[in-house]
Amino acid sequence: MADVNVAPSLLDDSIRKSKILVVGAGGIGCELLKNLVLSGFNDILVIDLDTIDVSNLNRQFLFQKEHVGKSKAVIARESALGFNPNVTIVAKHDSVMNSEYNVTFFKQFTVVMNALDNRAARSHVNRMCLAANVPLIESGTAGYLGQVTAIRKGLSECYDCNPKAGQKSFPGCTIRNTPSEPIHCIVWAKHLFNQLFGEADPDEDVSPDTADPEAAGDAGSVALQNQASEAGNVTRVSTRAWAQQSEYDPSKLFGKFFCDDIKYLLSMDKLWTKRTPPTPLSWDNIPEEISDQQGGLIKDQKVWSPAECVQAMVSSIKILYQRSKELNGEESFLVWDKDDEASMDFVTACSNLRSHVFSIPKKSRFDVKAMAGNIIPAIATTNAVIAGLIVFEAFKILEGKWEECRHVYLNSKPNALNKVIAPSSLDSANPKCYVCSPHPEVTVLLNVSQMTVQSFEDKVLRGALHMISPDVMVDDGKGTVLISSEEGETTENMSKSLSDFNISDGTRLRCEDFHQEYDLNITIIDREHLEENREFTVIADPSQLQPKAAVESSGPQPSTSSSKPAPSTRATESVEIDEDLDVIFQKGTANDDHQQEPSIRKRSISGQADIGSASKKLRLSENDIIEL
Amino acid sequence: MASPSPKSPGQISDKSKKYDRQLRLWGDHGQTALESANVCLINATATGTEILKSLVLPGIGSFTIVDGALVTGEDAGNNFFLDHSKIGKPRAHVATQLLMELNSDVKGDYIEETCDQLLSNNPDFFCSFSVVIATGLTEKSLHSLSSNLWQNNVPLVVSVSYGFIGSIRLQVSELCIIESHPDNLLEDLRLDKPFPGLKEFMDTIKLPEMNHKQFSHTPYLVLLYKALEIWNDRHGPNPPSNYKEKEILRNIIKSELGYGIVEEEDSNSGDEENVAEAIKAVNTALTKTQVPSNVQKILNDDQCIRLKEKNSFWIIARAVKEFVEKEGNGVLPLRGSLPDMTSDSQRYIALQNVYREQASKDAEHVWRHVQTILKERGWAGESVIENDVKLFCRHSSELRMIRGSCLAEELDGKQLPPDVDINQQLEEPDSPWLHYLLLRAVNKFHTENGSFPGYYDDNVETDIAKLKGCFSRLLNDLGCQGGSLSKDDNLHEMCRYGAAELHAVAAFIGGCAAQEVIKLITKQYVPLDNTFIFNSVTSTTATLRL
Repeated sequence: MADVNVAPSLLDDSIRKSKILVVGAGGIGCELLKNLVLSGFNDILVIDLDTIDVSNLNRQFLFQKEHVGKSKAVIARESALGFNPNVTIVAKHDSVMNSEYNVTFFKQFTVVMNALDNRAARSHVNRMCLAANVPLIESGTAGYLGQVTAIRKGLSECYDCNPKAGQKSFPGCTIRNTPSEPIHCIVWAKHLFNQLFGEADPDEDVSPDTADPEAAGDAGSVALQNQASEAGNVTRVSTRAWAQQSEYDPSKLFGKFFCDDIKYLLSMDKLWTKRTPPTPLSWDNIPEEISDQQGGLIKDQKVWSPAECVQAMVSSIKILYQRSKELNGEESFLVWDKDDEASMDFVTACSNLRSHVFSIPKKSRFDVKAMAGNIIPAIATTNAVIAGLIVFEAFKILEGKWEECRHVYLNSKPNALNKVIAPSSLDSANPKCYVCSPHPEVTVLLNVSQMTVQSFEDKVLRGALHMISPDVMVDDGKGTVLISSEEGETTENMSKSLSDFNISDGTRLRCEDFHQEYDLNITIIDREHLEENREFTVIADPSQLQPKAAVESSGPQPSTSSSKPAPSTRATESVEIDEDLDVIFQKGTANDDHQQEPSIRKRSISGQADIGSASKKLRLSENDIIEL
Repeated sequence: MASPSPKSPGQISDKSKKYDRQLRLWGDHGQTALESANVCLINATATGTEILKSLVLPGIGSFTIVDGALVTGEDAGNNFFLDHSKIGKPRAHVATQLLMELNSDVKGDYIEETCDQLLSNNPDFFCSFSVVIATGLTEKSLHSLSSNLWQNNVPLVVSVSYGFIGSIRLQVSELCIIESHPDNLLEDLRLDKPFPGLKEFMDTIKLPEMNHKQFSHTPYLVLLYKALEIWNDRHGPNPPSNYKEKEILRNIIKSELGYGIVEEEDSNSGDEENVAEAIKAVNTALTKTQVPSNVQKILNDDQCIRLKEKNSFWIIARAVKEFVEKEGNGVLPLRGSLPDMTSDSQRYIALQNVYREQASKDAEHVWRHVQTILKERGWAGESVIENDVKLFCRHSSELRMIRGSCLAEELDGKQLPPDVDINQQLEEPDSPWLHYLLLRAVNKFHTENGSFPGYYDDNVETDIAKLKGCFSRLLNDLGCQGGSLSKDDNLHEMCRYGAAELHAVAAFIGGCAAQEVIKLITKQYVPLDNTFIFNSVTSTTATLRL
């Protein structure tokens, strides 16, 4: 046990001699830096890529108004040093995923503390700490919820031991043709922003998708003729070029997106046999329905009427068009930002107009912002609590009492045993973990003739498996190199499909990430169609693999009258993570995961019984005594 | 184009940008409450300034620090807002200056006097605060402060960080919460007790006169209502209550609610989204409409019946009670909101309006009761605002009330709750009761000896023996004769702490306590009732009711 008094002790000594890496200087990071400096730690490196935003100031107390726009790491260092100039703090305004932070770099630290906001960086730091064999303390908060856990190679589970639920994504044709929820219209409106002002991405097309497998049949040809006569050759030039021709005339844009395109969708009548068909809007006759007034709401929380939406659309287009005209050559497009007023107005207006067209409930600007920006509420108090808990875990690690380290959850309400904090022993590593097991393996389901090498690298290896610089060799006895991390070596492979390299059902790929010191074997399973129009599925534990027939039968019907290459229908639209958040492992809190999977996650809890299923029941009862 | 709409509906202020992430938790009215609150901190200890930090950042109206001490080396070592260059200067002044730097919207003030001096010179001083936060007070001072605030009905939050242990004690005589933010709030749909407007609306809808398209775009509430009518014809007025009965209702929805007009293209019947939604909603949408027990308790409370004070919450509660007994026929005012559902816009909006109109009618009734109550008692009309009545009605099924206990009485030797087996608790190594008693014992030690055990390094051994004495006398005082500690480990630990305030513990307790203060101020979410104990060695917490 540590002596907390002035008298020196083993712990005091090891605190003073330790060197700490703090990854992230946001909500948790600020609190953590303060706690470390005031607990006697005096050699700290803090790294953060981000700059300071106004919406950080309600909790990231090392920053003030005049710091907006500056580096979080640099300002955090300055503020903490102002308090205690005798400690060494090094600030890096940089991405921790940068190649200069290699395994040797990580090895210099006694403990690494994550105060991050995104899964890719968490996963990366996890691998670096495993490779360098340095203890890692992982943490996260969302609103009133939070968690802290310690990770050490061979002694606990790692960050990737439990596959995280994928980001919520929507099939392309739901976004383009058949939205049924507000979020579908919001994603569409963000895509529209990019088509008109931003970096155009073919996966983000906003016009009707004629290759919708559901619309298969005769609709297409009729509709195409209508389209040709009504909108001229609109479809043959890019949306942006077309908009520029009319200098972003709002009535023309409105006419295309909320009238002509909708009429076109209506002509694909197979789509509407079971759905409520959309109602095209007319520029000359915008319904002035009474907007959703509720007493005492601020303007931002009011739902706009269609007329108000049009008003906001017109004014935001004007501002955005002006801005895009002023762009110089280097940055030729605007980037959508939830904290930019015109960008938010545009998405609120367009998503609500689309919702109106499709009889979907409309949302206030406040709610649209939360959904479009994937905003998770954040407050100072939760971060303070979590940063305190991180330091207690660090004490135990420094004392060498690894067995006393805990995985701690901060609940929004007391659990079955009337506790807001639920500590549990660390789980042992998952023997089938695709990161920390001795021979990592995953299975990837995809269509080998559709998936290009480029997509495989970007979406599977980097996107889903969080690799940084992968090298991939086909295990075909010849050592065919599919992807090389050396620039230019495999450029010519990128546009080819996997099947061009004789990759077929059952082919094994050897992947290596030199930077992460991480080797992974991938087994490819060839599937023509995947559930929910997904492009691929990663399976960490092959025993989870369903029988082939079951998967195929639940897939969509093959498209017969596809006038476009099929991939456009399979593209999925994902909502990206808000970068300035202090998000936890995944939305919905891991605590809930644990309640839902008591069999997998049976835990011995120090000083208390199992927190399992009973706590859910108790939440219904009267016993909500404290929320943090 | 239609008539002119607001100039820029999207314009938002700097403030709502800065507070965006927290507005999503307590709303703009919660933020307004926070911005009009005035908080007092007694003693700028590490725990105290950590609490204030987490209140200044989200934008509390103003704070006042009461502290007669000067900055010491120990302060500089564990308090972020007091550094070495300020040693010897007044703690209240230095901390106020640095805390104000965190947020320019917040006003700060300080008084360089001790709590005891203020209490004797100016006993009404604390009455003007929304909440008083106390740290670093002796038992005696805490006793006087607690009595004073209890009488004046000002909430008190006492926070302690002692070595690896922390505690928070809330003293609030009565707290009425309108928005308790329950986890599992059911929709207020009234299908079992349809109000006249709903009945009228439903009667205009004739499913057999629809074609497939019209049918499949009908809101699922209509389907549920129609199925329930069939059920009532066959099984009497009570809605299905068990699994078997609900299955019967689900079958009615599935097979007996069809549309009447069959057209050629209507070949896709059987998998309509609204039918699926109706079937899914059978479990939740048919819950019996009644006044929940926590709300009934409030309506039956003496305060509500006798209405002694001119208090807005109780006046509206009384008006709601009269509504329930008269116009409401035994049910609360309608909430007036609908869940999202598959439907064409026209009928969804029509249905939404039916619920909204009834909700505003109900709120109007309550508002009239309020005015009668005010008139009868000769109270000014402006004591209650109509918007508050609307908010109250909207949340009337989630009302909560907490009546706390007085800390001074606890310190006077109030017996422990009878259901706590103290001897058993003393055997458990991480019992929150044990930590609670240890914290009481070190305070007793301080009262008797003028310093905390182990504070002076050369006294540790004798202090352990003395603390042991304090502990058993405390048990006696609390009516636990014969209770004792089988091992002295914990007493050793308490002496070894020497009353040191660890920053990490202060940070943790500061975050928790600040959140409780926010709940008290916004009157949203349910605060802890009433003592919170934290052990940082095991990362365990518990809530005790004293």
